[in-house]
Amino acid sequence: MVQTTASNLNNFSNHLIASVEDLKVYFHSKEGLTHSVDGVSFDIIDGEIMGLVGETGCGKSVTARSFMQLVQTPPGVIAGGKIRFKSKKTGNQIVDLLSLTENQIRELRGERIAMIFQDPGKALNPGLTIRTQIAEVFQEHREDDVFKKAKIDYVHKNFIGAILQKYIKQRTNLIIKLMLLVPPIRAYKKKLDKAIDKLVIEALAETQIPNPEKVMERYPHELSGGMKQRVMIAQAIACNPDLLIADEPTTALDVIVQARILELIQELQKRHKTSVLYISHDLSLVRKICDRVAVMFAGKIVESGDSDTIFKNPVHPYTKGLIKASFMTHERGKLEEIEGIEAT
Amino acid sequence: MQIRDYIIRRLMILPFLIIGTSIIVFALTRIGGSPIGIYLSHEMSPAEVQEMKERFHLDKPVPIQYFYWIKGVAQGDLGWSGVASAPVIDVFPKKFAATMELAIAAGIVAVSLGIAMGTFAGARRNKFADHVIRIISVSGASMPLFWFSILLLIVFWVWLGWFPIGRSDPNLFEAIAHPTGFYTIDALLAGNWDAFKDAVWHLIMPAVALGYGATAIIARMMRSSLIEELQEDYIDAAKAKGLPKNVVLKKHARRNALVPTVTVIGLTFGFLLQGTVVAEIIFRWPGLGRWMAAAVLRGDQATIMTYVMFTSILFLIVNLIVDVVYANLDRRVELGD
Amino acid sequence: MSETEDTVISDQKMYDSAFKVRFNRNLEILKNVLANPTTVIGLIIVILMILMALFAPIITEPNSPDPYQMPRDWKAARSAPLTPGHILGTTNRGGDVFYGVVWGARTSLKLSLLVVSLTLVLGVIIGSVAGIAGGKVDEVLMRIVDVFLSIPELIFALAIAAILGPSFTNIILALVVVFWVKYARIMRAQVIRIKQREYVDAAKIMGASKLQIYLKDILPNSFSPVMVQATLDMGNIVLVGATLSFIGLSEAGIAEWGVLVSEGQAGISAGRWWASTFPGLMVFLWALAFNLVGDGLRDVLDPRTETRR
Repeated sequence: MVQTTASNLNNFSNHLIASVEDLKVYFHSKEGLTHSVDGVSFDIIDGEIMGLVGETGCGKSVTARSFMQLVQTPPGVIAGGKIRFKSKKTGNQIVDLLSLTENQIRELRGERIAMIFQDPGKALNPGLTIRTQIAEVFQEHREDDVFKKAKIDYVHKNFIGAILQKYIKQRTNLIIKLMLLVPPIRAYKKKLDKAIDKLVIEALAETQIPNPEKVMERYPHELSGGMKQRVMIAQAIACNPDLLIADEPTTALDVIVQARILELIQELQKRHKTSVLYISHDLSLVRKICDRVAVMFAGKIVESGDSDTIFKNPVHPYTKGLIKASFMTHERGKLEEIEGIEAT
Repeated sequence: MQIRDYIIRRLMILPFLIIGTSIIVFALTRIGGSPIGIYLSHEMSPAEVQEMKERFHLDKPVPIQYFYWIKGVAQGDLGWSGVASAPVIDVFPKKFAATMELAIAAGIVAVSLGIAMGTFAGARRNKFADHVIRIISVSGASMPLFWFSILLLIVFWVWLGWFPIGRSDPNLFEAIAHPTGFYTIDALLAGNWDAFKDAVWHLIMPAVALGYGATAIIARMMRSSLIEELQEDYIDAAKAKGLPKNVVLKKHARRNALVPTVTVIGLTFGFLLQGTVVAEIIFRWPGLGRWMAAAVLRGDQATIMTYVMFTSILFLIVNLIVDVVYANLDRRVELGD
Repeated sequence: MSETEDTVISDQKMYDSAFKVRFNRNLEILKNVLANPTTVIGLIIVILMILMALFAPIITEPNSPDPYQMPRDWKAARSAPLTPGHILGTTNRGGDVFYGVVWGARTSLKLSLLVVSLTLVLGVIIGSVAGIAGGKVDEVLMRIVDVFLSIPELIFALAIAAILGPSFTNIILALVVVFWVKYARIMRAQVIRIKQREYVDAAKIMGASKLQIYLKDILPNSFSPVMVQATLDMGNIVLVGATLSFIGLSEAGIAEWGVLVSEGQAGISAGRWWASTFPGLMVFLWALAFNLVGDGLRDVLDPRTETRR
C-alpha cells in the first residue's frame, strides 16, 4: 500500500513543491540505535495542504524537522534519503535540503520554508517582545524591504549604509553599537526601526490580531495561547514562504481556539497559495483541511493518498484504528467548533 | 504587582536581619569577656578603672550595654581600634575604598570571565573546550584562595617578576591627590597616566586571585543554564527563522541563561567579600580585610564588630538587589491563558 | 498485565526480606554513583587521603611527645625538596614539609569528622523540631537561621575564633557554630515535605505516635540530602578551617596544612616555593575530592538537580 515516488532529481515533477524520498533518521540512545524515521517517502504538490498523521513518537515531527535540518546531530543521524525542494524564488531550482550547507539552509529557513511549532508558549522566547521576535524575520531576509519602507536609499557601498546593514542583519559588535549612537546614524536607525515596526504590524494584522500596535510591545507571557499561536503564524508567513510546515499547531490549544487557528491557516493558505505540510495525530481534523494525507506508523508510511478515500476506505489496520480512535474526538470537536464559529 | 509585594516583604525583613546580626555580633564579643582591657593601663588605680568602666557603661548589665553600643554606632562612634591606634570611624573609609576597589575589580573579572567561559563551554557541550572549562570551574570551587594566591605570587612575582605586590608605587602615590580612595579613579581624576597604569598593575594579580573562585561558580551556573536554554523550543524556532548561530546563541539563549546566573552572582559577592581577608594578607593590600586579620589576632573587638556588621549589611543589601533584579528579569511566569 | 503475572510478582516480594530490598536499592545507587568517572576519581582521592591519615604514624615516624606538633630539624632548615630525609623540603624553621603533609591529613580528618558530626546532629535536631512543631517555634528558629546565613561563612567563623582566642579547638567550635545552619534548613524542608505525603497520614491513622512516625518514616527518608550536604561539608570545612589556620587562628607549629602554608609564606620572596605549595595542594585535593563525590551523590540521590551540573 506504500505509495512510492519514483522520481529523481531529473524528473522531479513540475507540479511538486517538495518530495521526500526514502528518508532515514536514527537516534542514538542508551538502548542503542532507534530507527525514528525509517524510509519515509511522500510528495507535496505545489499549493496543496498535505497531511502527515500518526501518533506521538511515530517520527512525524522528526520528518518535519528534517526539512529545516533542525534534527540535533548528535544524538540524531541522518542515515539516508533526500528531501527535494523547489525554490520558486530562485527560478524553480531544485535542491536537496539534507545536503545543503549551514549557510544555504539558513537562507531558506523562515524565507522559503517556515514552521509553526506545537506549543506557542514554548516556541516564543520568553525574554523578548513580540516585536523583536517577528522583526528578526524581516531583518534577516527582507533587508531591502526595510530600507525601502524607511525610504532610505540602499547605500550598501557607503560607510553609513554598511553600518545600517549590519544593524538590520544583527551582525553588530561593540564598535558598531557605539557608531549607531552617533546622531546622524542614529536618525537613520530610528527610521529603520519605524519601518520594521510597520512591517511587524502588517504581519500581525494579517493574522487578525486586534490592536497589533499594542500586542507587539508585549512579552509572550502576557498573551493568551491562541494569541501566541497567531504571533507564531505571523512570524512564519512574514516572508510569504513556499512551504509552511505546521507541526501540530492546535494541539496545545483549547478546542474553540483550535478551530479559529485552523480557519486562519486555511485562509492564509488560500490567499498566498502556500503549500502546507500539516502534521497532526488527529485524522478527522486532517481530513477536513488536507487534500491528501500520509499515515505514519513506527517510522514508516503505512498508507497515503487522497484524504477522503483513505478516510472512507482505510486499508491498513493501523489507519482503521486511528479512524476509530479519532471518531470520538472528532464528534466532540465538531460540537465545540460550531460553538466557536458562533462566538466569532 | 507580585514583584512589588515581594520587594516590600523583603525590605521589611531587612531591618530584623540587621538587628539579629548585631545581637549575634555583640553577644560574641561579650563571650570573650569585658572589653575594658584596651582602655586600661597598668598605672591606673582601682578608682580610675572603675571610672573608665562607668565612662564606657561597662558596669551596666549586658543588654543595657548593647543599647549603648547601638546608640554609639548610630552617632558614628564605632569604638577604638587597638590595631590602628585610632578611632575605627577615622580609619574605616580609606580601608573601605581599598577593599571595594579590589572586590569590584575581582567582581568584574569574575562576572565577565565567568559568563564568557560558561557561554563558551555551554555552546560547545562535551567538546574539548567544554571539558577544559569544566575542569577549571570544578577546581575553582575547591581552590583554597590562600594557596592560589601564593601560587600566583610565586609564578608572577618571584619567578617572572611581571606583577608587583602592595597597592601602589610610593612615588606615584605621592604624586596625586586621593579624593575617592580608589587609586584607579584618583589617577584618572588627576589625569596621571603613569599612576593609573601603576594602580591597575597592582590590582591585576589580587583581583584575578580573588575572582577565580567566583568565576568558577558563575561559569558553572552559566554553562548549565545555557545548556538548559539551548534545549528549549524557542531556540529551534529562532533557528527556523533563519537566524545565524551567533544571533541564536547570544540574543536568544544567552540572554535567558543570564537570568538564573544573576542569583549566583549575588551569592558570589559574599564569597568575594570574605576572600578579601586572605587576598589582602598575601598581596599586602591595605584594606579592611587585612585590618580585620590583624584585629582578629590581637583581639581588637571594636574593629571585629564593625567589620562583621558592615560586611553582613553589605551582603544583605547586595542580595536584596539581586533578588529584585531577578524578579524583574524572570518573565517565564505565565500570566496569560 | 494479566492476573497470573501479578501474583507471581507479589509472591516474589513476599520472599524478599526488607533487608534484601534495601540492600538491592543501595547496590543500585552505588552502581549509579560509580558510573560517573569524575566521582570515581574523587572517591579514589578521598580513600587515599583517609588511608594517609590513618597510617600517618607508619608513613612517618611520629614526633614525640606530641605527634601533631611539627618536628623541627633546625640544622636542615630551608632545604629544597628531594633532600635526603626531607623529601618535600623544609620550612624556614626546619619543619619537615612531608611530615606536615601526612599528619595534616590526620588533623584534617579529625577536624572535618568532628565538625560534620556535631553540626549534623545539631542541625538535624533543630531542623526537625522546627519542621515538626511548626507555627511559632518554626518561625523563630527559621529567623535565627536567616540571621546566621546573613553573615558570610568565613567572616563569621573568623570572628568567633578570634573572640574565643587562637587555638585549633576554637576553630572547631567556630566551624560548628557556622555550619549547622544548612542541615537545619535541609531537615526542616524534608520534614515538611514528607509530613504531607500519604504514607505518613496512613501511619497516623494506624495510631503511630509522632515520635514513631518521625523515627520510622521521616528520618530515613531525609537521609540522602543530609548525606550529600555532609559529604560536601567534609571538603568545605577543611577549606575554611585551613584558611582560619592560615590567618593565624590555630596554635603555631601544629601539623596542619593551613599553618604550614602560612609558615612557608615567609620564604616565598626568597624563592622557597615548596613549603607553601605542597600543603596547599593537599587542601585543594581534599576539598576537590569531597566536592566531586558530593556532586556525584547528589546527581544520583537527588535527580531533580541533575541538570544543574
